[in-house]
Amino acid sequence: MKKTKAIRSSKLKYYGAILALLVASSIAARTQDAKIPPDVEKLSAKAKETVEVTMDGPMLHWASKFLSADDPEEAKCAKLVANLKGIYVRSFEFDKDGAYSTADVEALRSQFRSPTWSRVVGVRSDHDGDNVDIFFKLENEKMAGIVIIAAEARELTYVNIVGPLEVDQLADLGGEFGIPKLSRRSLSKAEKGDHK
Amino acid sequence: MKPLRVFLLILCTSALAFAGDNDFRGVVRAIEGHYGVHHMHVPLLGVAMFFARPSGVSGMKLAIFEDFDANADPDDVRRIVENSLGDGWHPFVRVRSRNDGNATAETTLIYANPSDGKMRMMIVNVEPSEATVVELKVDEHSIKRWLSEPGEEAEDHSSHHHTDN
Repeated sequence: MKKTKAIRSSKLKYYGAILALLVASSIAARTQDAKIPPDVEKLSAKAKETVEVTMDGPMLHWASKFLSADDPEEAKCAKLVANLKGIYVRSFEFDKDGAYSTADVEALRSQFRSPTWSRVVGVRSDHDGDNVDIFFKLENEKMAGIVIIAAEARELTYVNIVGPLEVDQLADLGGEFGIPKLSRRSLSKAEKGDHK
Repeated sequence: MKPLRVFLLILCTSALAFAGDNDFRGVVRAIEGHYGVHHMHVPLLGVAMFFARPSGVSGMKLAIFEDFDANADPDDVRRIVENSLGDGWHPFVRVRSRNDGNATAETTLIYANPSDGKMRMMIVNVEPSEATVVELKVDEHSIKRWLSEPGEEAEDHSSHHHTDN
């Protein structure tokens, strides 16, 4: 009788562990696919000001038509935008240094450490040289999305671009739709294999 | 036949004008209904707005709520606004700022309704004791500004309405 109980208990533990694993992996998958992960939203509570920009399918489609009107730079941008599914930007401004911790940013970065994401290091923004992390999502060996985390002492910007986009094309989108400007040189360096 | 054609034209244009007005009225009425407030009647508001409107902006409608619910949850306001907006409106920008006491001091919600070459925008600004609803149409030049720097434009517009009021 005791033996049966022990077997039942170990079976329950086994199934419990499998269930927990399934739940955890489904949560992890959802976090990675989420337009804005919960860790980003949490930063809003610490920020003095939060700016959220949402450009989803119909808006992007419309913007792409509109941008293609005049100059070649805009035409380039319009071509890119037409294929995208969404651009989601969260920008946080803090009233003092250290209002958010390194652990906050690290928690954010850690969500993109998975086989589908690749991290590019050493990319710096044009204007002040603060660190920018860029993660690329690969699906069937094709670019399927980009996440940018730009961290400054009193500012943090999170950008999620959903859709096909090449590394060097990211510079064309910089400065539009609230996406920070990124140096073309550093991006091309990253493209040559400066991945981590 | 001509008077009939003119009559039909007037009927159509007034129907279109009402259609454009519906979303603005819907948002204003939803806020009034939910919070038990009424927007202020400002004499000669239309004339004032014609002269005070920012460049590249037309068809501006404005409703101001004074003595607004100080404890209004910005997320509730967002739900109310989104439920009352018709088809074609998309969330575009949201700006939230906090005061020193860490409470939400101001929330600005901006929804966009793009169509060929023009964009209608619904801007809802909520402060602890005041709320403003603005609907406007922006021209090509302004759209470019909005697409390039949406956050900055949102802040500019909310401060513009704030100082105007």
